[in-house]
Amino acid sequence: MRISALRVAGAGLIVDGVDLEVSPGETVGLVGESGSGKSLTARAAAGLLPKGLRAEGSVAFDGREFLGARERRWRSVRGTRVSLLMQDPFAMLNPLRTAGAHIAESLRGRESRAEVARRLAEVGIDDPRVAGRHPFQLSGGMRQRVALAAALAGDPELLIADEPTTALDATTQHDILMLIKSVQAARGMGVLLITHDLRVAFELCDRVAVMYAGRVVEQGPAAELAKSPAHPYTAGLLAAVPAADRRLARLSGIRGSVPTAAQVAATCAFAARCDQATHACEEERPPLRELGPGRRTACLHEVRPRPHVEEATPPERPAAGAEVLRVTDLRKRYGGHVALGGVSLHVGRGETVGVVGGSGSGKTTLARCVLGLVAPDSGTVALADAVRPRHRLVQCVFQDPSTSLNPAMTVGAALAEAAAQGPEEGRLGVRELLELVGLPASYAGRRPAGLSGGERQRVAIARALSVRPELLICDEPVASLDVSVQAHVLELLREVGGSMLFITHDLAVVRQLADRLVVLSRGEVVESGGTAEVLDSPAHDYTRRLLASVPAIP
Amino acid sequence: MRVFLTGVLGLALVAAVAGTWLAPYDPGAQDLALGAAGPSAAHWLGTDDLGRDVLSRLLAGAGSALLWPVVVAVCTMLLSTSLGLLAGYRRGWVDAVMMRTVDLAIALPGMLVLIVVVGVLGGGYGWAVLAMAVLFTPGDIRVIRSLTLAQRELAYAEAARTLGLRPARIMFRHLLPNLAPTVVASALLSFVAALVALAGLSFLGVGLPAGTPDWGLMVEENRGLLDLNPWAAIAPAALITVVACTATLLGDRAFESLSKGGLR
Repeated sequence: MRISALRVAGAGLIVDGVDLEVSPGETVGLVGESGSGKSLTARAAAGLLPKGLRAEGSVAFDGREFLGARERRWRSVRGTRVSLLMQDPFAMLNPLRTAGAHIAESLRGRESRAEVARRLAEVGIDDPRVAGRHPFQLSGGMRQRVALAAALAGDPELLIADEPTTALDATTQHDILMLIKSVQAARGMGVLLITHDLRVAFELCDRVAVMYAGRVVEQGPAAELAKSPAHPYTAGLLAAVPAADRRLARLSGIRGSVPTAAQVAATCAFAARCDQATHACEEERPPLRELGPGRRTACLHEVRPRPHVEEATPPERPAAGAEVLRVTDLRKRYGGHVALGGVSLHVGRGETVGVVGGSGSGKTTLARCVLGLVAPDSGTVALADAVRPRHRLVQCVFQDPSTSLNPAMTVGAALAEAAAQGPEEGRLGVRELLELVGLPASYAGRRPAGLSGGERQRVAIARALSVRPELLICDEPVASLDVSVQAHVLELLREVGGSMLFITHDLAVVRQLADRLVVLSRGEVVESGGTAEVLDSPAHDYTRRLLASVPAIP
Repeated sequence: MRVFLTGVLGLALVAAVAGTWLAPYDPGAQDLALGAAGPSAAHWLGTDDLGRDVLSRLLAGAGSALLWPVVVAVCTMLLSTSLGLLAGYRRGWVDAVMMRTVDLAIALPGMLVLIVVVGVLGGGYGWAVLAMAVLFTPGDIRVIRSLTLAQRELAYAEAARTLGLRPARIMFRHLLPNLAPTVVASALLSFVAALVALAGLSFLGVGLPAGTPDWGLMVEENRGLLDLNPWAAIAPAALITVVACTATLLGDRAFESLSKGGLR
């Protein structure tokens, strides 16, 4: 497949001149943060643009042009030549049809029980009974396998996978990626992998194209790109990726936020956020110049080598003594499901304790029990003291930045209200709170809809800290943020943190913050200890599997 | 479209407030010699069988025709919003008791209850209005409750609880503004339903006393005049229809613009 000079526009320009080629047997990664236009590029390549968007340029399979073709002609290639695997395995399968029916549907004339079983075996499902199950009877990973089998049923020459593992658990994510890799190698088909995660792209792809503000800013073989990025944006992204094997002294994000394609149509897309930008960058749009075989960049300059980020020794662990949280033998069941099966842990003053686990490990239930949002069945939660009301002892930063702030309240009103709940002495004003989290005072008048995800999470942190609690709980505070923003927020948490209970599924993130680590699996603590000790020499099998699933940067 | 809708409702409001002064004749003045006459230069919409000017009666009746439905809508809105928020936010036995009561209330045949209430309590119009507000509330409670249930699980509501805010503050300061589009839209729908239902009561003769200038009553009293002066019955019926349609469409639009972030 070859895409050239693709432009997608709706109310505004979204994709501005993308060139991309996928050859048979090749895996190409299209990487970009939210708003870069990567998903729409993929949808345009399958002729599935949402209503109201128009594409120009060229999308060709085997030299035959398909862009602007009628639906009928598209149908003749979808499934057999190009197939799409989407992000959400929960919404992708029809809940009323069995797994087998999904696959048989695309087999076209060859559907037989044996063939469906063979297709399921190809995606690692050896139990033929799965064919008779409905999606709700399958786990997220199983559904994604079934969806993959259905996408492959028409034996496509090209598979477009749009964030195929983003909604999955770390360990499942790893399994599915390896599965796509092995199927691709066995079939010799082309794969276009759309992802926001550089690590995933590097792990799986031969070539990687980095998209930014609707255009490709850098392209090249994955290993070369990872070692020596030739565009400041790629370099910035790489610098922002946390590592699971060491604690970095400083986490550096990229300042500013992603512009729209239309805003930067006539300049270098990245100029406004670039440290190396010169006058020339603003004057015209830098062409995608050739650096070497298959290696191109849209930067006029030689990119400075990445400053070596040294490893930091974790700060001295505070002397044991005052505890701000002690959880003893906490149990909670929901119907027949055991969310917490006797969890005990403690957090000392000034200490950051990481709680790690996959989905269903009970980590969020633990947070909600400590916050008093749900009542545990048995066990005790003891906070710093029993005198002060709970809300002055513990506060929380919630996961989803899109709902963590009241859409009907201005930032200033929300912060003022929260601060009023704290002790009177030493109360911070709205301006000081905003300053604390690095936002301008003018943000007080804004509503959440006018803020980016990272900014909302900053406001949420300010709101939690305004009460000056003894303990701050962070429940996946960066899970839905882009990597460059994630680095900023993590750095902020390091600065302002105090005593923290940091809940996450991401080992690389927890390595950067936590002094101690508690690994949860199915509602039980399977391992705990100093962060470095646990991650460098995991004792429990589950921890080892979690670690193995973190993609490494070459 | 929007200008047109607000224009129609604006005119109706002007008539409701200043109708009695705008009326060219005394709405009660009879001219038996004239009888039921068709439209003329002196009487634009003609007269009814007692020789009363139809236009004057329409203008004078606008007040009661619009005021009482507004009272119903406001009462329904206040009741259903506070009870729905309470049930959805508190859950547990409060919710259970309230929702079973709501189920019962919805099972009652509304119009019949109204007629009985008005009959037993001696036909006071105020009672009819109050009974109607109570009858309309259960349906809206269900809507507000289900929305509250969804909103209270969102992170901002949990954050408010974590901050130790009082439940009343969370319900009215945090959750309510986010339900505003639905609250406003369903208030307008209650207004429409009350407008039509009150006109229906008047038509059945259990509303206002005979002879009062009232749209519903005019339809009833003048429907025998369809061959002499059809406008005497058609005009009030048409007005009821136009106001009802306008308010419904406006409710739709209000919902859309409020949920699109019109709150900003």
